[in-house]
Amino acid sequence: MSIMAEIAIVFGVCLVSEGIAALLPFTFPASVISMILLLALLLSGIIKERHIDRVCRFFVGNMAFFFIPPCVGIIEHAETLAACLLPFLVISILTTPVIYLVTAWVIQLMMAARRKKEVSSHD
Amino acid sequence: MTDAILSSPFFGLAVTCLAWCVGLWVQKKTGLVLCNPLVIAAALIILLLVVFRIPYSSYKQGGDLISMMLGPVTAVLALNIYNQRKLLREYFLPVVVGCLAGCLTSIGSILLLCKFLLVEESIAVSLMPKSVTTAIAMAVAESQGGIPGITAAAVLVAGSVGAMFAPLFAKAFRVTNPVAEGIAIGACSHALGTTKALEIGPLQGAMSSIAICICGIITSVLTLFL
Repeated sequence: MSIMAEIAIVFGVCLVSEGIAALLPFTFPASVISMILLLALLLSGIIKERHIDRVCRFFVGNMAFFFIPPCVGIIEHAETLAACLLPFLVISILTTPVIYLVTAWVIQLMMAARRKKEVSSHD
Repeated sequence: MTDAILSSPFFGLAVTCLAWCVGLWVQKKTGLVLCNPLVIAAALIILLLVVFRIPYSSYKQGGDLISMMLGPVTAVLALNIYNQRKLLREYFLPVVVGCLAGCLTSIGSILLLCKFLLVEESIAVSLMPKSVTTAIAMAVAESQGGIPGITAAAVLVAGSVGAMFAPLFAKAFRVTNPVAEGIAIGACSHALGTTKALEIGPLQGAMSSIAICICGIITSVLTLFL
Protein backbone atom coordinates (compact mmCIF):
# COMPACT_ATOMS: atom_id res chain seq x y z
CA MET A 1 0.00 0.00 0.00
CA SER A 2 1.32 3.45 -0.83
CA ILE A 3 2.31 5.54 2.15
CA MET A 4 -0.07 8.31 1.02
CA ALA A 5 -2.95 5.85 1.07
CA GLU A 6 -2.03 4.87 4.62
CA ILE A 7 -1.97 8.52 5.66
CA ALA A 8 -5.29 9.09 3.89
CA ILE A 9 -6.91 6.27 5.90
CA VAL A 10 -5.67 7.61 9.25
CA PHE A 11 -6.57 11.23 8.43
CA GLY A 12 -9.94 10.06 7.09
CA VAL A 13 -10.72 8.29 10.36
CA CYS A 14 -9.80 11.48 12.26
CA LEU A 15 -11.98 13.58 9.97
CA VAL A 16 -15.02 11.32 10.38
CA SER A 17 -14.45 11.39 14.16
CA GLU A 18 -14.51 15.19 14.18
CA GLY A 19 -17.89 14.93 12.49
CA ILE A 20 -19.15 12.41 15.04
CA ALA A 21 -17.87 14.58 17.90
CA ALA A 22 -19.81 17.54 16.50
CA LEU A 23 -23.00 15.45 16.36
CA LEU A 24 -22.73 14.24 19.97
CA PRO A 25 -24.88 16.18 22.45
CA PHE A 26 -21.92 16.40 24.92
CA THR A 27 -18.27 17.39 24.50
CA PHE A 28 -16.15 14.32 23.92
CA PRO A 29 -12.56 14.35 22.59
CA ALA A 30 -12.59 13.59 18.85
CA SER A 31 -9.21 11.88 19.19
CA VAL A 32 -10.67 9.24 21.53
CA ILE A 33 -13.54 8.69 19.10
CA SER A 34 -11.01 8.20 16.29
CA MET A 35 -9.19 5.59 18.39
CA ILE A 36 -12.42 3.68 19.06
CA LEU A 37 -13.49 4.01 15.41
CA LEU A 38 -10.15 2.72 14.11
CA LEU A 39 -10.27 -0.17 16.58
CA ALA A 40 -13.77 -1.06 15.37
CA LEU A 41 -12.60 -0.94 11.73
CA LEU A 42 -9.65 -3.21 12.56
CA LEU A 43 -11.75 -5.69 14.53
CA SER A 44 -14.37 -5.87 11.80
CA GLY A 45 -11.64 -6.51 9.22
CA ILE A 46 -12.59 -3.52 7.05
CA ILE A 47 -9.10 -2.12 7.64
CA LYS A 48 -6.23 -4.57 7.87
CA GLU A 49 -3.09 -4.02 9.87
CA ARG A 50 -1.00 -3.78 6.70
CA HIS A 51 -3.16 -0.84 5.52
CA ILE A 52 -1.92 1.45 8.29
CA ASP A 53 1.20 -0.33 9.50
CA ARG A 54 3.88 2.20 8.51
CA VAL A 55 1.98 5.31 9.56
CA CYS A 56 1.25 3.72 12.92
CA ARG A 57 4.87 2.84 13.46
CA PHE A 58 5.92 6.39 12.62
CA PHE A 59 3.41 8.03 14.95
CA VAL A 60 3.88 5.63 17.86
CA GLY A 61 7.66 5.63 17.49
CA ASN A 62 7.86 9.43 17.60
CA MET A 63 4.88 10.01 19.87
CA ALA A 64 6.48 12.34 22.40
CA PHE A 65 7.65 14.70 19.65
CA PHE A 66 4.06 15.81 19.02
CA PHE A 67 3.67 16.91 22.64
CA ILE A 68 6.44 19.49 22.49
CA PRO A 69 4.31 22.46 21.29
CA PRO A 70 1.65 22.05 24.04
CA CYS A 71 4.44 21.82 26.63
CA VAL A 72 6.00 25.02 25.29
CA GLY A 73 2.49 26.48 25.67
CA ILE A 74 3.02 26.46 29.44
CA ILE A 75 4.98 29.68 28.87
CA GLU A 76 1.61 31.42 28.40
CA HIS A 77 0.41 30.13 31.79
CA ALA A 78 3.66 30.47 33.71
CA GLU A 79 2.11 32.72 36.37
CA THR A 80 -0.85 30.42 36.98
CA LEU A 81 1.44 27.44 37.32
CA ALA A 82 3.99 29.24 39.53
CA ALA A 83 1.18 30.27 41.88
CA CYS A 84 0.23 26.65 42.50
CA LEU A 85 3.49 24.82 41.87
CA LEU A 86 3.54 23.02 45.21
CA PRO A 87 -0.01 21.58 45.08
CA PHE A 88 0.62 20.76 41.41
CA LEU A 89 3.66 18.65 42.28
CA VAL A 90 2.10 17.11 45.39
CA ILE A 91 -0.99 16.00 43.46
CA SER A 92 0.90 14.75 40.40
CA ILE A 93 3.35 12.72 42.48
CA LEU A 94 1.28 11.45 45.42
CA THR A 95 -1.72 10.14 43.50
CA THR A 96 0.45 7.89 41.30
CA PRO A 97 1.24 5.16 43.89
CA VAL A 98 -2.36 5.31 45.16
CA ILE A 99 -3.69 4.53 41.66
CA TYR A 100 -1.11 1.75 41.31
CA LEU A 101 -2.11 0.20 44.63
CA VAL A 102 -5.87 0.20 43.97
CA THR A 103 -5.62 -1.03 40.36
CA ALA A 104 -3.16 -3.82 41.12
CA TRP A 105 -5.09 -5.13 44.12
CA VAL A 106 -8.48 -5.06 42.43
CA ILE A 107 -7.01 -7.25 39.68
CA GLN A 108 -5.07 -9.52 42.06
CA LEU A 109 -8.18 -10.16 44.14
CA MET A 110 -10.29 -10.85 41.04
CA MET A 111 -7.70 -13.23 39.62
CA ALA A 112 -7.39 -15.01 42.96
CA ALA A 113 -11.18 -15.41 43.11
CA ARG A 114 -11.18 -16.77 39.56
CA ARG A 115 -8.44 -19.28 40.37
CA LYS A 116 -10.33 -20.43 43.46
CA LYS A 117 -13.44 -20.96 41.38
CA GLU A 118 -11.50 -22.96 38.78
CA VAL A 119 -9.92 -25.12 41.48
CA SER A 120 -13.23 -25.85 43.17
CA SER A 121 -14.89 -26.69 39.85
CA HIS A 122 -12.14 -29.25 39.21
CA ASP A 123 -12.89 -31.10 42.47
CA MET B 1 14.53 39.54 7.45
CA THR B 2 14.09 38.62 11.10
CA ASP B 3 10.42 39.45 10.80
CA ALA B 4 10.02 37.20 7.77
CA ILE B 5 11.72 34.34 9.60
CA LEU B 6 9.70 34.75 12.78
CA SER B 7 6.38 35.04 10.98
CA SER B 8 6.91 31.83 9.02
CA PRO B 9 5.44 28.56 10.33
CA PHE B 10 8.75 26.96 9.40
CA PHE B 11 10.27 28.69 12.43
CA GLY B 12 8.20 26.58 14.84
CA LEU B 13 8.59 23.43 12.76
CA ALA B 14 12.37 23.67 12.42
CA VAL B 15 12.98 24.68 16.03
CA THR B 16 10.80 21.83 17.36
CA CYS B 17 12.49 19.16 15.22
CA LEU B 18 15.93 20.45 16.17
CA ALA B 19 15.11 20.62 19.90
CA TRP B 20 13.70 17.07 19.75
CA CYS B 21 16.94 15.78 18.22
CA VAL B 22 18.95 17.50 20.94
CA GLY B 23 16.64 15.95 23.55
CA LEU B 24 17.10 12.46 22.09
CA TRP B 25 20.86 12.95 22.03
CA VAL B 26 20.99 14.06 25.67
CA GLN B 27 18.83 11.10 26.75
CA LYS B 28 21.12 8.70 24.90
CA LYS B 29 24.22 10.22 26.47
CA THR B 30 22.89 10.26 30.05
CA GLY B 31 20.39 7.38 30.04
CA LEU B 32 18.40 9.05 32.82
CA VAL B 33 14.59 8.86 33.02
CA LEU B 34 14.54 12.49 34.15
CA CYS B 35 16.38 13.55 30.99
CA ASN B 36 13.23 12.89 29.01
CA PRO B 37 13.65 14.18 25.44
CA LEU B 38 10.25 15.89 25.65
CA VAL B 39 11.24 17.83 28.78
CA ILE B 40 14.59 18.82 27.33
CA ALA B 41 13.12 19.88 23.97
CA ALA B 42 10.34 21.95 25.55
CA ALA B 43 12.77 23.56 28.01
CA LEU B 44 15.19 24.45 25.20
CA ILE B 45 12.46 26.08 23.13
CA ILE B 46 11.13 28.04 26.12
CA LEU B 47 14.68 29.17 26.85
CA LEU B 48 15.12 30.25 23.23
CA LEU B 49 11.87 32.24 23.26
CA VAL B 50 12.67 33.92 26.57
CA VAL B 51 16.32 34.73 25.90
CA PHE B 52 15.73 36.21 22.43
CA ARG B 53 12.40 37.77 23.44
CA ILE B 54 10.58 35.98 20.64
CA PRO B 55 6.81 36.18 21.10
CA TYR B 56 5.10 32.84 21.75
CA SER B 57 2.73 33.56 18.85
CA SER B 58 5.63 33.27 16.36
CA TYR B 59 6.45 29.81 17.63
CA LYS B 60 2.78 28.84 17.80
CA GLN B 61 2.27 29.07 14.02
CA GLY B 62 4.50 26.08 13.38
CA GLY B 63 3.80 24.49 16.75
CA ASP B 64 0.08 24.29 16.02
CA LEU B 65 0.77 22.26 12.89
CA ILE B 66 2.59 19.70 15.04
CA SER B 67 0.04 19.54 17.84
CA MET B 68 -2.67 19.10 15.21
CA MET B 69 -1.16 15.65 14.64
CA LEU B 70 -2.06 14.60 18.19
CA GLY B 71 -5.39 13.40 16.78
CA PRO B 72 -3.83 10.81 14.45
CA VAL B 73 -1.29 9.94 17.16
CA THR B 74 -4.15 8.97 19.48
CA ALA B 75 -6.05 7.17 16.70
CA VAL B 76 -3.16 4.84 15.92
CA LEU B 77 -3.11 3.65 19.56
CA ALA B 78 -6.00 1.48 18.34
CA LEU B 79 -3.45 -0.77 16.65
CA ASN B 80 -1.79 -1.36 20.04
CA ILE B 81 -4.96 -2.70 21.55
CA TYR B 82 -5.79 -4.64 18.35
CA ASN B 83 -2.44 -6.43 18.49
CA GLN B 84 -3.10 -7.42 22.11
CA ARG B 85 -6.68 -8.58 21.50
CA LYS B 86 -5.96 -12.22 22.44
CA LEU B 87 -4.54 -11.26 25.83
CA LEU B 88 -7.34 -8.79 26.36
CA ARG B 89 -9.99 -11.43 25.65
CA GLU B 90 -8.34 -13.81 28.10
CA TYR B 91 -8.30 -11.33 31.00
CA PHE B 92 -11.14 -9.08 29.89
CA LEU B 93 -13.10 -8.70 33.12
CA PRO B 94 -10.22 -8.22 35.59
CA VAL B 95 -8.54 -5.80 33.18
CA VAL B 96 -11.59 -3.63 32.58
CA VAL B 97 -12.67 -3.62 36.24
CA GLY B 98 -9.09 -2.89 37.30
CA CYS B 99 -8.81 0.02 34.86
CA LEU B 100 -12.17 1.37 35.99
CA ALA B 101 -11.05 1.20 39.63
CA GLY B 102 -7.78 2.92 38.70
CA CYS B 103 -9.52 5.73 36.81
CA LEU B 104 -12.05 6.30 39.60
CA THR B 105 -9.22 6.40 42.15
CA SER B 106 -7.27 8.78 39.95
CA ILE B 107 -10.07 11.28 39.40
CA GLY B 108 -11.36 10.94 42.98
CA SER B 109 -7.99 11.42 44.66
CA ILE B 110 -7.07 14.35 42.41
CA LEU B 111 -10.36 16.17 43.00
CA LEU B 112 -10.14 15.52 46.73
CA LEU B 113 -6.58 16.82 46.96
CA CYS B 114 -7.46 19.84 44.82
CA LYS B 115 -10.28 20.71 47.19
CA PHE B 116 -8.07 20.09 50.22
CA LEU B 117 -5.20 22.20 48.86
CA LEU B 118 -7.56 24.93 47.60
CA VAL B 119 -6.43 24.60 43.99
CA GLU B 120 -8.01 26.85 41.40
CA GLU B 121 -10.78 25.31 39.29
CA SER B 122 -8.95 25.64 35.95
CA ILE B 123 -5.91 23.89 37.42
CA ALA B 124 -8.04 21.13 38.98
CA VAL B 125 -9.63 20.40 35.60
CA SER B 126 -6.20 20.38 33.97
CA LEU B 127 -4.87 17.89 36.53
CA MET B 128 -7.86 15.53 36.47
CA PRO B 129 -6.87 13.42 33.43
CA LYS B 130 -3.15 13.41 34.34
CA SER B 131 -2.82 9.60 34.63
CA VAL B 132 -3.78 8.83 31.03
CA THR B 133 -1.66 9.18 27.93
CA THR B 134 -0.83 12.78 26.93
CA ALA B 135 -2.86 12.92 23.72
CA ILE B 136 -6.07 11.83 25.46
CA ALA B 137 -5.35 13.76 28.66
CA MET B 138 -4.92 17.04 26.79
CA ALA B 139 -8.03 16.48 24.71
CA VAL B 140 -10.04 15.75 27.88
CA ALA B 141 -8.61 18.79 29.70
CA GLU B 142 -9.34 21.05 26.74
CA SER B 143 -12.92 19.84 26.36
CA GLN B 144 -13.46 20.53 30.08
CA GLY B 145 -11.95 24.02 29.96
CA GLY B 146 -8.53 23.18 31.37
CA ILE B 147 -5.08 24.34 30.27
CA PRO B 148 -3.49 21.68 27.99
CA GLY B 149 0.08 22.80 28.79
CA ILE B 150 -0.41 22.22 32.51
CA THR B 151 -2.02 18.85 31.79
CA ALA B 152 0.96 17.87 29.66
CA ALA B 153 3.32 18.79 32.51
CA ALA B 154 1.30 16.81 35.07
CA VAL B 155 1.11 13.79 32.75
CA LEU B 156 4.87 13.95 32.43
CA VAL B 157 5.42 14.10 36.19
CA ALA B 158 3.06 11.17 36.82
CA GLY B 159 4.67 9.16 34.02
CA SER B 160 8.19 9.75 35.30
CA VAL B 161 7.19 8.80 38.85
CA GLY B 162 5.69 5.56 37.53
CA ALA B 163 8.63 4.77 35.27
CA MET B 164 11.13 5.35 38.08
CA PHE B 165 9.33 3.67 40.97
CA ALA B 166 7.21 0.93 39.35
CA PRO B 167 9.48 -1.92 40.59
CA LEU B 168 9.50 -0.36 44.06
CA PHE B 169 5.68 -0.09 44.08
CA ALA B 170 5.37 -3.78 43.21
CA LYS B 171 7.59 -4.71 46.14
CA ALA B 172 6.03 -2.30 48.63
CA PHE B 173 2.43 -3.21 47.76
CA ARG B 174 3.19 -6.95 47.36
CA VAL B 175 2.00 -7.14 43.77
CA THR B 176 3.11 -10.47 42.32
CA ASN B 177 0.62 -11.12 39.54
CA PRO B 178 2.14 -9.96 36.21
CA VAL B 179 -1.25 -8.97 34.75
CA ALA B 180 -2.05 -6.83 37.82
CA GLU B 181 1.42 -5.29 37.75
CA GLY B 182 1.24 -4.40 34.04
CA ILE B 183 -2.24 -2.88 34.20
CA ALA B 184 -1.38 -0.93 37.35
CA ILE B 185 1.71 0.57 35.70
CA GLY B 186 -0.29 1.58 32.62
CA ALA B 187 -3.14 2.97 34.72
CA CYS B 188 -0.96 5.25 36.85
CA SER B 189 1.78 6.23 34.43
CA HIS B 190 0.62 5.54 30.82
CA ALA B 191 3.21 5.28 28.02
CA LEU B 192 6.19 6.41 30.10
CA GLY B 193 5.46 3.68 32.63
CA THR B 194 4.93 1.18 29.82
CA THR B 195 8.56 1.55 28.77
CA LYS B 196 9.49 0.35 32.26
CA ALA B 197 6.83 -2.39 32.21
CA LEU B 198 8.39 -3.75 29.00
CA GLU B 199 11.72 -3.99 30.83
CA ILE B 200 10.09 -5.92 33.71
CA GLY B 201 8.53 -8.49 31.37
CA PRO B 202 6.68 -8.94 28.05
CA LEU B 203 3.33 -9.75 29.73
CA GLN B 204 3.63 -6.69 31.98
CA GLY B 205 4.48 -4.56 28.94
CA ALA B 206 1.55 -5.82 26.87
CA MET B 207 -0.86 -5.33 29.77
CA SER B 208 0.48 -1.85 30.39
CA SER B 209 -0.14 -0.81 26.78
CA ILE B 210 -3.66 -2.26 26.96
CA ALA B 211 -4.25 -0.16 30.10
CA ILE B 212 -3.20 3.03 28.27
CA CYS B 213 -6.03 2.67 25.77
CA ILE B 214 -8.71 1.40 28.15
CA CYS B 215 -7.96 3.97 30.85
CA GLY B 216 -7.97 6.69 28.20
CA ILE B 217 -11.45 5.71 27.05
CA ILE B 218 -12.79 5.25 30.61
CA THR B 219 -11.37 8.58 31.80
CA SER B 220 -12.82 10.55 28.91
CA VAL B 221 -16.23 8.95 29.56
CA LEU B 222 -16.04 9.49 33.34
CA THR B 223 -15.21 13.20 33.00
CA LEU B 224 -18.47 13.64 31.09
CA PHE B 225 -20.32 13.08 34.35
CA LEU B 226 -18.41 15.69 36.35
